[in-house]
Amino acid sequence: MTTSPLPRTSASGSDDCSCPEFRGADLSRRGFLRGLGLAGATMTVGSAVVTVGPSAPAAASGGSNVLVVLSMRGAADGLSLVVPHGDPVYYRARPRIAIPADRLVAKDGFFGLHPALSPLLPLWQQGRMGAVHATGLAVPNRSHFAAMEAVEDATPGSSERVGWLNRLIGDMPGTSPLQAVAVGSAPPSLYGPQPWMGFDRLDEVGVAGDDQWDPTDDRLRSLGKMWQRSRSPLAPALRSAMAAVEEIGPAQAQQQRSDNFPKSDLGKALSAVSRTIRGDIGASVITVDQGDWDMHSDLGTLEWGRMQRNADDFARSVAAFFEDLGPAADRVTLVTVSEFGRRVVENNNYGLDHGWGNVMFLFGAGVKGGYRGTWAGLGDGHDADLTVTTDYRSVLSEVVRTRTTVSTATVFPQFSPERVGAMAGV
Amino acid sequence: MRRRKKKQKKKFRPVRYAPTPVLGAADRHMVSRFSYGTTPELVREVQSAGGGLAWFEQQLATAYADPAGDAAIGDWWPDLHRDAATLWKRQQDEVRAVWEVMSDYSCRLMVRRMTSPHQVLERMTEFFEAHLHVPVNGDKQGVWRASYGDVIRRHALGRFDEMLVEAITHPSMLLFLDQAVSTKKAPNENLGRELLELHTVGVGHYTEDDVKASARILTGYRVDVWRTWAATYKPEDHWTGPVRVGDFVDANAAADGRDLVRRYLVHLAHHPQTAQRLARKLAVKFVRDDPPQALVDRLARTYLQHDTAIVPVLRELVRSVEFKGSRGVKLRDPSEDLVATYRALSATVRKPQRREDAANAMLWQSTVIGLAPMTWPRPDGQPLDNQAWATPARALASMDIHWSLAGGWWPKTGVDYLQPTDWVPELPMRFAPLVDHLSRRILGRPSTRGILKAASTAVGVKPTEEITADHPLMRWHFNRLLGSFLDNPLHYGR
Repeated sequence: MTTSPLPRTSASGSDDCSCPEFRGADLSRRGFLRGLGLAGATMTVGSAVVTVGPSAPAAASGGSNVLVVLSMRGAADGLSLVVPHGDPVYYRARPRIAIPADRLVAKDGFFGLHPALSPLLPLWQQGRMGAVHATGLAVPNRSHFAAMEAVEDATPGSSERVGWLNRLIGDMPGTSPLQAVAVGSAPPSLYGPQPWMGFDRLDEVGVAGDDQWDPTDDRLRSLGKMWQRSRSPLAPALRSAMAAVEEIGPAQAQQQRSDNFPKSDLGKALSAVSRTIRGDIGASVITVDQGDWDMHSDLGTLEWGRMQRNADDFARSVAAFFEDLGPAADRVTLVTVSEFGRRVVENNNYGLDHGWGNVMFLFGAGVKGGYRGTWAGLGDGHDADLTVTTDYRSVLSEVVRTRTTVSTATVFPQFSPERVGAMAGV
Repeated sequence: MRRRKKKQKKKFRPVRYAPTPVLGAADRHMVSRFSYGTTPELVREVQSAGGGLAWFEQQLATAYADPAGDAAIGDWWPDLHRDAATLWKRQQDEVRAVWEVMSDYSCRLMVRRMTSPHQVLERMTEFFEAHLHVPVNGDKQGVWRASYGDVIRRHALGRFDEMLVEAITHPSMLLFLDQAVSTKKAPNENLGRELLELHTVGVGHYTEDDVKASARILTGYRVDVWRTWAATYKPEDHWTGPVRVGDFVDANAAADGRDLVRRYLVHLAHHPQTAQRLARKLAVKFVRDDPPQALVDRLARTYLQHDTAIVPVLRELVRSVEFKGSRGVKLRDPSEDLVATYRALSATVRKPQRREDAANAMLWQSTVIGLAPMTWPRPDGQPLDNQAWATPARALASMDIHWSLAGGWWPKTGVDYLQPTDWVPELPMRFAPLVDHLSRRILGRPSTRGILKAASTAVGVKPTEEITADHPLMRWHFNRLLGSFLDNPLHYGR
């Protein structure tokens, strides 16, 4: 049999590994696992980051502010969620799917909320819920995929795929992968050189085989030998995960109160997010997704359809989340992002095709309640859009500026935010 | 210190177990990209074909030689043969829901990938079924979905223009992207847009006016949704009048727009930007995440020169220096990981009798790792690059599934696992040659110092230790040893 040497790019075994052994040596199990996670951080950014300090103990950053980013996938119709009942075009453009003004909640002279958002009214009335309308990308982009990429990278003109949340955690003190946690599917906004952690089910986070039948940690040491120096594309993530496993216990120990949440994917995810925050494991950024907002058909009315269903799920999940957080809610800010909005004029299928401007919701700590945004007036041509008057990065910049110590210039390079007033103290 | 290192070096020197055959690096590379993972049978097949390239040619030549035999593979789920109206009626009568039938579909795909002798056909079916993606989740498209898969399979090694015409006008696609309810009064843009952005020329190569014209061209196809699900063409719903999409111009005067649609789709299939897009996707899937533009250009040219035929493009791809230079750089996605693990373990999946049997449980296993076949929720098809699958959650989930399969704990039924005595070629034997044998079987290559070290650490057995039938390794720890191979970075790559 012939065998040729592995090429440089291949994932090879750790032949000449001088990996630290933790058993019988000077490294504790925890130190060993953390070291693996750190290997991930230095591995991916290269030798430039030799100054990376020792991993900050997760508990030290406990009690800090948390930013939760909820992505509404598929491009939610902001005009159904926050209805501009004061704009006469709205009712003309949507003869069948417009929401009657007398059914709106939290109504002022111009805007009102979809009645399915009623579970959020307590937050609204306490001034802990804001809505910024007519936000989005500076230029229309009607491709789900290109728009999502643009929104999540937030660096127009750059071909480098690094998400804005990865830049955000990159500028925070500490290197624990638990600084950023994706619950459910991992958004590209997290992609990049900084390590992060993700899971679907909090209780199942662990390394299979690392159990009571392995008192000498043979399994972990064997994995360490294979992965510590591996160049496999999976290696940084696997090392982050192993490092995180050891630190995530306090979150797993938090009481599960998922009965108070909707049984939906979003409800389950936010229940896990709440436990992660209550567990004080040092998570500063948490992402969560809600899908099925791409309503070309059957967006429907108040009586039937996909909008009332998804809006109801969204509202009940977010309301339950803030309730469930208890005192921890004081340090949690949740913001929603969707790749673009939908057309002003309804199509023939009780639905809406791809548009432009959208609404962003903000909840919780530091949020200035109420409606905001600049209204350019709706057009009612067949392909009229809600014109974007506020770059979505201006909204996110205010959140970053007021809730973290990170410079917005790092997170949103070459961007000068405009004042929105969505957060207190800006 | 130096002496200690030298001693260590000697201690973990791999020992060859030559009787277990392996392929050379180039041949291994070919099958790791164009099969669903190594098996002893595959190694024999490649050797008797005369190497990786010869095997590839043999695969192309025989891909459609036995359609009846192929159709019988994993034909364990009778609901997949029922028509749309029947599936819908059974859902209405609460006999069986459409989503359950679609679970069958994903499972059948995995069983075919696991066991079909036509591995290249399976690979290309997967590629194009993802390129022209219709997710199995969703009752609308679900009732027609199995026959959609047959269309893709029939053309996967044929011509893209023919595939495109049949796929875009298939009821499952029409239903998924809302074309089946579009009218001339307000044409629904969903399919018209994704046809341009995802299936053909790609973003940046069409305008918003093109999208509108594309949507108009496609009007007329209707499906009787939520009732009979019968697919018809209704000239009264077809928008007539001049249309222009890029350089495709047509008077569109006829009430029946079907021939227009055919011409439009053939035009798009032959468009140089479509050639670029398909060539790039093929290169990303089978070569590397950042393929050189020169390779993409060559593949695109071949595609156009051969009237959108797929085989000449693949032939060029596997002979390219870029392909040869890309060993080990691609990560297996969740269902590839799962199928390759069953194959590596020589675990034989049988026709399922119950829900928890392996052939059904595989659906949940691949979902746990990250995604079951054809369940990607968006129309762009599951990602082909590494990044999407290189997440911490995936790493832990893969380790979990590998561990349960190595131990034969889940699934427990509907599958035959090898026992420790089946894995050991002779007894007694020393640990180091046993590790070499297992490395050849599971990873398709001889052991290295790193593999031996990891194996030795995993079970606390020294390389020179003699393994007998009642050694603790054979009695208690064999799963841990198998686990050290399944969680080797090499098993995650393809």
